[in-house]
Amino acid sequence: MARLPWFQLVIAVLSLFQFTFAEHTSNWAVLVSTSRFWFNYRHLANVLSLYRTVKRLGIPDSQIILMLPDDMACNPRNAFPGTVFNNADRALDLYGENVEVDYRGYEVTVENFIRLLTDRFGEGWPRSKRLMTDERSNILVYMTGHGGNEFLKFQDAEEISAFDLADAFEQMWEKKRYHELLFMIDTCQANTMYSKLYSPNIIATGSSEIDQSSYSHHADNDVGVAVIDRYTYYNLDYLETQVTDPTSKKTLADLFDSYDESKIHSHPGVRWDLLKGGETEGRQRLVMDFFGNVQNVEIEDKASKNNDTQWREDLEALRRLIDAARQANNESARAENVKPGVDFAEAASEQVTASQMPGAAKVQRDDSWSKRAVGATALLGCLGIWLAGSWLEAKR
Amino acid sequence: MSFFYSILFFLWFFISHAHATSDYYERLLLRPLPQSALLASFNFRSNASSTSFDRQHFRYFPRSLGQILQHAHTKELHLRFSLGRWDDENWGTRPWNGTREGGTGVELWAWVEAETNEEANSRWLTLTNALSGLFCASLNFIDSTKTIRPAMTFEHEGKYTVKSEKNLHLLHGTLPHEVVCTENLTPFLKLLPCKGKAGISSLLDGHKLFDATWQTMAIDVRPVCKQDSLDCVLEMEQTVDMVLDIERSARPRDNPIPRPPPLEDVECDTSKPYNAEDTCFPIVKDSEPAWSVTGVFGRPIKGACPLAENYHSQSSGMICINVPPEREVIPSSELKYEERSHNGGFLRCYEPSAGADFDLTLPEQQLSIKAPIEQPRMYASRSFTGNGQERGGVRAVITNNSPESVSLSYLESLPWFMKLYLHTLRTTVKPFTLSTSTEEDAHSDLIREVYYRPAVDRHRGTHLELLLNIPPLSSLTLTYDFEKAILRYTEYPPDANRGFDVAPAVIRMLSSSNSSLHGGSTYLRTTSLLLPLPTPDFSMPYNVIILTSTVMALGFGSIFNLLVRRFVAADEVPALDSNELRSKVLGQIERLKRSFRGKGAVGKED
Repeated sequence: MARLPWFQLVIAVLSLFQFTFAEHTSNWAVLVSTSRFWFNYRHLANVLSLYRTVKRLGIPDSQIILMLPDDMACNPRNAFPGTVFNNADRALDLYGENVEVDYRGYEVTVENFIRLLTDRFGEGWPRSKRLMTDERSNILVYMTGHGGNEFLKFQDAEEISAFDLADAFEQMWEKKRYHELLFMIDTCQANTMYSKLYSPNIIATGSSEIDQSSYSHHADNDVGVAVIDRYTYYNLDYLETQVTDPTSKKTLADLFDSYDESKIHSHPGVRWDLLKGGETEGRQRLVMDFFGNVQNVEIEDKASKNNDTQWREDLEALRRLIDAARQANNESARAENVKPGVDFAEAASEQVTASQMPGAAKVQRDDSWSKRAVGATALLGCLGIWLAGSWLEAKR
Repeated sequence: MSFFYSILFFLWFFISHAHATSDYYERLLLRPLPQSALLASFNFRSNASSTSFDRQHFRYFPRSLGQILQHAHTKELHLRFSLGRWDDENWGTRPWNGTREGGTGVELWAWVEAETNEEANSRWLTLTNALSGLFCASLNFIDSTKTIRPAMTFEHEGKYTVKSEKNLHLLHGTLPHEVVCTENLTPFLKLLPCKGKAGISSLLDGHKLFDATWQTMAIDVRPVCKQDSLDCVLEMEQTVDMVLDIERSARPRDNPIPRPPPLEDVECDTSKPYNAEDTCFPIVKDSEPAWSVTGVFGRPIKGACPLAENYHSQSSGMICINVPPEREVIPSSELKYEERSHNGGFLRCYEPSAGADFDLTLPEQQLSIKAPIEQPRMYASRSFTGNGQERGGVRAVITNNSPESVSLSYLESLPWFMKLYLHTLRTTVKPFTLSTSTEEDAHSDLIREVYYRPAVDRHRGTHLELLLNIPPLSSLTLTYDFEKAILRYTEYPPDANRGFDVAPAVIRMLSSSNSSLHGGSTYLRTTSLLLPLPTPDFSMPYNVIILTSTVMALGFGSIFNLLVRRFVAADEVPALDSNELRSKVLGQIERLKRSFRGKGAVGKED
């Protein structure tokens, strides 16, 4: 009799434990620089600094999507081949010996970025270029480049607006592609970029308010350009000195409170209101929840197993829907005289490739006399007709 | 010594065939070149028997690549990442006769097994997409506009049955603008069994490789069968060739910018008439510079790769250096190694043991005999001619340096926006000797065959393949004209004003004799070209919007004014003087007063 309440208490505590810690089971990072050209060296250095930090704190390369629009390390202007520095002391080579760039050069576009977030790709897109997250994934999205009020330029050719970004995040939420998301942006008027977000469980921070510029920190005379931006520099400064190992219990509040406006030269902003529990809850989130790779294990109990069967039923229903759609497609395809059994995607690719003939044809040079004779006869014939016509005209 | 490279080549070929069933080899050849350059040629070979490959049992053959090849039904794969230019005149013949070399950027060609052309195309797309993920390169940009099917220039290296050969489709694509950097080297090293941690691959460092004057990384996968048997292995060969500058690589990595040395350290040429205390002409040294493997590559060789099976081969070691016999080579003495010399002493090979660092040091030395450099049989260059934004021309000069006539195939893969006029294709030949140089005329029999596939806007590029014949000791000039297309506004890349890269032409020398060394062919690639296209002013849409808005505002404003205002002549308006103004103001005040008073009066009245 006396044992029963104690047992119940243990279960209650255990369930509470599970409730509070059943958070994320994987960490992903999307690190985007959006500037091309050598003079934007610092933006690539920003992103590579973050890349190095998240890698240091345990996120593997397979879970980091790195987008670099230009090549700085092997740029002919770089006096240090194969190297990118973020400090004039050149103590740390960010490019190192092991770097995996997922999107580079012309691949860094607004379209690809939104496709990456929403996972809408064509067939055959490699796994390493996809963000394969689920509803238990925490994602760090870091962006840097040149921006303005509610937009960020990509490669000086196109822009992503704050509305596009908000809609992409909403689609991610609807598709259960994240658990919590930390959005960080270092650009001019950065805080306007997160002002339009409306999806839950996003914490957003930016380097500067509306009508404020974000500035670079310092330049390296031998590299010849500025090497890092102020906001990123002080973020890194905190992460390097305070978050030294994956067991760190530093919170996001500690990180955001470390921002010194007199050093950053702009007013960094934080947005908590999208998170359940708001600022009080958000301030307790650990830095390692987003910058590190903490793998919480969730043990399935009976209730979740029931969920599982339900989920399977949903899947089955979805499969039936797809089958029906495919059948309808096949019927329409058959009507268009496409061979049966080919599904729609294949039929489409066939139509595209049908115009592509195989290899080049051999050019036959033909300068035989027969062809010349034919040509000459044709010309003479025409001349004859013309003469006959004019003769008849004159006779009349 | 004139066939030095071919001997080396033969050596390699022999090893590969004698031990076709063995698993993994690696070899490094170091060869000092004139002007303090150093050629380092790395070669790694791993095999998997075709039965184990089909069962997805991988040992040395990398699984990541193997699965891609199986998924895309690719039988033979050739992938190249290249940078820089090989200096034919100073450095002689190319390593591997150019067969392990690619054009600037990324070049990929593969034999894909498919029943139909459509199937081959879709498998090719699968392959390029998968490889782009594996090698961190934008290989997915090789679409139908950049893919061709060469007719004569490439031949498969593997062995196939007649039946399977019928279903093989050769596809070829290039990305001349693609940068090659550390992120491409990282996956390249991860394919190796020792992953750059031990063996000669431990020398491969991005900081040195991408500082090289010329470098090329190659991956070749081909099925190799024993003579008259069905026992086949899938052979993967990874090759890295680079030409390093010894002086340049001696600079410290954290401070590589050359700064003038203090005058005390400079040896002056006192024979110069202007030599004085403050003027100095540095002595041009004739001696061989001092260098060491650690100095040039930044680190020593981290022992032998324990997985490499080099001990079977009696003919060669793992690290070979190609220097004259009198050149002093000091291996790091603290460990045991095996030294063998071949080829009249011009080739010395070392076999370090696993687990300990290995280094070679060569002191500065005055040599009486230099290692001979074989002059290449052929040079090629290509450039643009013409001016203006509408049309242009291409001029390729191919020089035959050998005393016998050479037949070669010339392959061009042009982008669709460069529209070739085939009727303008002209060839002229000019012998070296002065006496005959006057008779420079067009020979129609120089071009023996033409394969041509015209471009279709936005769907495919031009494919031009010629079979040419060059007389001995003469240079052939090939010219053609083209028209530049105008792109749509959204088709321009972000750096459109830089120009558009045109892939290098591939030249294959078809050997006249039947010495079968890798098909007996020599490859040569020209440099890529930068084609400036007419670019619009990209701020134009904004200017147009602003200008139209201004015009509309002006128009609207004046019409609105005309509609709502009444215009009268100046003299119709009563003149305004100060008295009148005063009386008006007074009148208004009076009226206000009256209205206040009036209100009060009414109250009283009620």
